[in-house]
Amino acid sequence: MEDSPPGSSSDSNSPSRAESFDRDRHVFFLQMMYQLMPSQYQGQEINRLTLAYFAVSGLHVLRSVDSLHKEEIISWVLSLQAHPKNEALLNDGQFYGFHGSRSSQFQKIDNGVWTANGSHLASTYCALAILKTVGNDLSVTDSESILKSLKHLQQPDGSFMPIHSGAETDLRFVYCAAAISSMLGNWSGMDREMAKEYIINCQSYDGGFGLTPGSESHGGATYCAVASLQLMGYIEDGLLSKSASSCIIDVPLLLDWSLQRQAADGGFQGRPNKPTDTCYAFWVGGVLRILGAYQFIDETALRKFLLTCQSEYGGFSKLPGQLPDLYHSFYGFSAFSLLEEPGLHPIRIELGIADNVAIGL
Amino acid sequence: MNSHGDHKMPLSQRPEWSDVTPVPQEDGPNPVLPISLTDDFRETMDYFRAVYLADERSPRALGLTAEAIALNAANYTVWQFRRLILESLEADLHEELDFVDVVASSNSKNYQIWHHRRWAAEKLGAEATSRELEFTKKVFSADAKHYHAWSHRQWVLQALGGWEDELAYCQQLLEVDIFNNSAWNQRYFVITRSPLLGGLETMRDSEVSYTAEAIISKPENESPWRYLRGLFKNDMQSLVNDPQVLSLCLTVLKAENVSHVFALSMLLDLLCHGLQPSEELKNAIRALTSEAGPPGSDLARTVCSVLERVDPMRINYWKWRKSTLPSQVV
Repeated sequence: MEDSPPGSSSDSNSPSRAESFDRDRHVFFLQMMYQLMPSQYQGQEINRLTLAYFAVSGLHVLRSVDSLHKEEIISWVLSLQAHPKNEALLNDGQFYGFHGSRSSQFQKIDNGVWTANGSHLASTYCALAILKTVGNDLSVTDSESILKSLKHLQQPDGSFMPIHSGAETDLRFVYCAAAISSMLGNWSGMDREMAKEYIINCQSYDGGFGLTPGSESHGGATYCAVASLQLMGYIEDGLLSKSASSCIIDVPLLLDWSLQRQAADGGFQGRPNKPTDTCYAFWVGGVLRILGAYQFIDETALRKFLLTCQSEYGGFSKLPGQLPDLYHSFYGFSAFSLLEEPGLHPIRIELGIADNVAIGL
Repeated sequence: MNSHGDHKMPLSQRPEWSDVTPVPQEDGPNPVLPISLTDDFRETMDYFRAVYLADERSPRALGLTAEAIALNAANYTVWQFRRLILESLEADLHEELDFVDVVASSNSKNYQIWHHRRWAAEKLGAEATSRELEFTKKVFSADAKHYHAWSHRQWVLQALGGWEDELAYCQQLLEVDIFNNSAWNQRYFVITRSPLLGGLETMRDSEVSYTAEAIISKPENESPWRYLRGLFKNDMQSLVNDPQVLSLCLTVLKAENVSHVFALSMLLDLLCHGLQPSEELKNAIRALTSEAGPPGSDLARTVCSVLERVDPMRINYWKWRKSTLPSQVV
């Protein structure tokens, strides 16, 4: 079911929604979420740190992060780190990273020591991203434990598992590992060559990437693949002008596939013949930006589509006219940053954090 | 209590739990982004924490994990502990798959559920093959593009087998919806990886015919065009030389009131890889443009110009393609 076109006369109830990016309302939305998330989100308690990343990084993109209590954030995030009792334990096969929340971090009743390490790769990425965003240089984290135990999550085929106790392995976690290593400025925790091979095996016959070898190519997976390769140093700037044979992935096919993801309504879809959705403006738009091909999209049409997903309550929804959620809001803001919306921080696409944060300003 | 964990009575009031002291979640003084948790959720997780810390692997603990999962299917700690209990109790994993069936019906876009299914199926081995294939089919009857289910199905085929009817199943799905990109992807998966078929090169000719038919029926459908190109992966020369491919492009170009975008894009690639165009092809392309154009040369440039017009969303891309054409292309 489609809304009437934005800017039409039936939009007279909330004309501002359709015509421009409503930064103030988005800041308000994030601040409300930051104070208290409604109970519909309780199913995401396990990865609350990810929600915190959306809110904190979102506020930073909107140039409003100074409204937050940075010390509080840093102290809460650090309290979620898993610490081995001694250095020998770094070889016990566990991953010592960050938990997504207390719900995977258990305290023995008798003493105050956290036990049962349920730390998670994606939560670790979010923790580091948040710390950097609020101005921390990561020296306060126990980065040594992270880096020394990261390799326990890498699989024989080069992919990564998110937790050592067993879970699915796919490109999302290769990305997390690469982003973590990049932010810590240290690649000793992963075998980049093996990870690269896994990524190459995920490129589908149509040029996009699937989450696992053989899977259907998908916008989110394609972002994970390309961003990881960029972070690991396997693809460089000016890729489009290089000859096809010099690149480890099929760039022309990837380019063509990615551009074709912009559909007739101006939005981006995640897969061919699927509906458009706000977040792919970031995932696929991001791929195009990394390839140096962002100028090939129709920015006017994309803006128009995204504004139909902008909520009158602030934030963005997945599809036009729906209620906003934190995930689509963050990627909506990031997509507008890619579109160089005035007043927003530019983003370092492959890390999913603001540019000035990425370089440590 | 049913498998959805509907709570008739709070845990604190259930006599069978009276010996357990629930362990509250300690968020610390200034928790960031607190989530408003319902009493139900909070209490269930407090009792879960208690059995987890006590490492109690009992039937009642198993039931408790079901209740926790019903509220919080993404909590991987709960799933992991459930697996430990199942192993300790030597539980019937067929029954466990029954349980997952029910949970999945309201939570199907959840990675933990699919991982748990895979864990159980892996332990059951070949016993689970047809059940898992049936289960994914059931998911596809409601959502034929369900990403998790397709990943799971691919894993089942590779780990446990069952390839016999897969190509036919793809065909069936495509008959229902020729635009189903997941089904096209699965078709590619089957022809390239099935141990029962001859491999890509053996299957190529018949697949080209099948794909051509799909394209002719809906030339605006991106999926079969991508699939066609995929049939010649790493072998562009064969693509350029294949008469079926050329004839297909011509047919589409000459048709009226259909999208020419993918046909033109395919032709552009063929020209860039050395295709020597026939007069028929040159005429078909020129018929799409209002310009007279110099005969016999700059055909690729002409194709780009037409694409700029018929695919205006990507006008900047087609302009760039025009400016970066290989020097020796026609």
